[in-house]
Amino acid sequence: MGGLAHYLEREGLPTTQISLIRKHTEGLRPPRALFVPFELGRPFGAPNEPDFQRRVLLGALKLLERNDGPFIEDFPDAPPGPPADMEGWTCPVNLAAPQNDLSDAEKLALDLKQEVVLLRPWYEESIKNFKGRRLDGLTEYSPEEIIDFLVSFVDDPSIDSFMEGQPIGRALKLTADDLKYFYYQAAMAKPGSVSDVQISDWYYGETLAGKLFIKLRELCLGHETEALQTMGRTAYVPNAMLKHV
Amino acid sequence: MAHLSDMPEKQRNMIVNQDLPDYDDTTCADGPALNERKVAIITTAGLHRREDKEFTPGVGEYRIIPNDTDMDDLIMSHVSTNFDRTGFQQDLNIVFPIERLRELAASGDVGEVADYHYAFMGATPPMAHAAVSKDLAGLLKSDNVTGVILAGV
Repeated sequence: MGGLAHYLEREGLPTTQISLIRKHTEGLRPPRALFVPFELGRPFGAPNEPDFQRRVLLGALKLLERNDGPFIEDFPDAPPGPPADMEGWTCPVNLAAPQNDLSDAEKLALDLKQEVVLLRPWYEESIKNFKGRRLDGLTEYSPEEIIDFLVSFVDDPSIDSFMEGQPIGRALKLTADDLKYFYYQAAMAKPGSVSDVQISDWYYGETLAGKLFIKLRELCLGHETEALQTMGRTAYVPNAMLKHV
Repeated sequence: MAHLSDMPEKQRNMIVNQDLPDYDDTTCADGPALNERKVAIITTAGLHRREDKEFTPGVGEYRIIPNDTDMDDLIMSHVSTNFDRTGFQQDLNIVFPIERLRELAASGDVGEVADYHYAFMGATPPMAHAAVSKDLAGLLKSDNVTGVILAGV
């Protein structure tokens, strides 16, 4: 982001930017930046808080009228709303405690599909609540098809890619993300705020799909292919969820 | 997870202390008062229309988001697992403040909204953006853009 600011500015285009990691911005020295003390993934603060979002945006845009960069201004306020670690959220579905032994591929696939069956009504309710907006849809596959793909990799990590035009690592990542987003979408069916930490703790700690992701991470880390080893480090389990590994 | 403080120290340090290129100071490009500027949004959230090709890790490519796009159909194919998506699902404006920008234009704080906006995927080496930046600058100029808000995730 900071590099892009340099390149565009050198072409004569005035830029301003939101900074979420101050040290990066200090290192890259873009012409103008507004540092905001918000969560990663929330550069304009909090969802459904238009007045606050407008303040952040206008604060950054006003920096365009200063030509004494590079500089970083600090946005003074935390976002409104409940903190990310608020308590009280529960998943709308009580799922069976996931097993730790994922060695029986056929049973694993069946159990995962059972989770999907239980979650589907809430997934559909969630899409209705969000007026059609949905996180999943990176691929054209259904959750059940994705489960078959991912379990086939768990059963035999030497398989070729199951997506045309995509190497196995990218095919795994896109389909895995789609499956995870199906779960996240369902988990957001209940009205009210929910944090990423809450949903992720549920996903990685209480669902079989989360166990599958932890297994995918393990298999990729131990894979002979360097690209898959890299995927293992970054693609399946967020840093903050390594406590579930 | 989303807060850096939620991450284990080792992983947090890997993100915060990553190697960055050195840039010479860049002279600020001048422009008119904010209420006379045409403003475009560039996000690195890996956003794109559902029919667009998903982003490829490590490549400094971008996707175009026309201002008349059905914004509810934007999806996110960013590769990173380390930032929040729940805010985005609840409200697109948390990463791509298109409604807020339109409001600022309507109130007269901003001149006008660009006809086209752009999305990259972060987690890409900054130097990878050099190759496409001239093309992108040309597109922005042809849209008469005089101010760009860059927003990472």
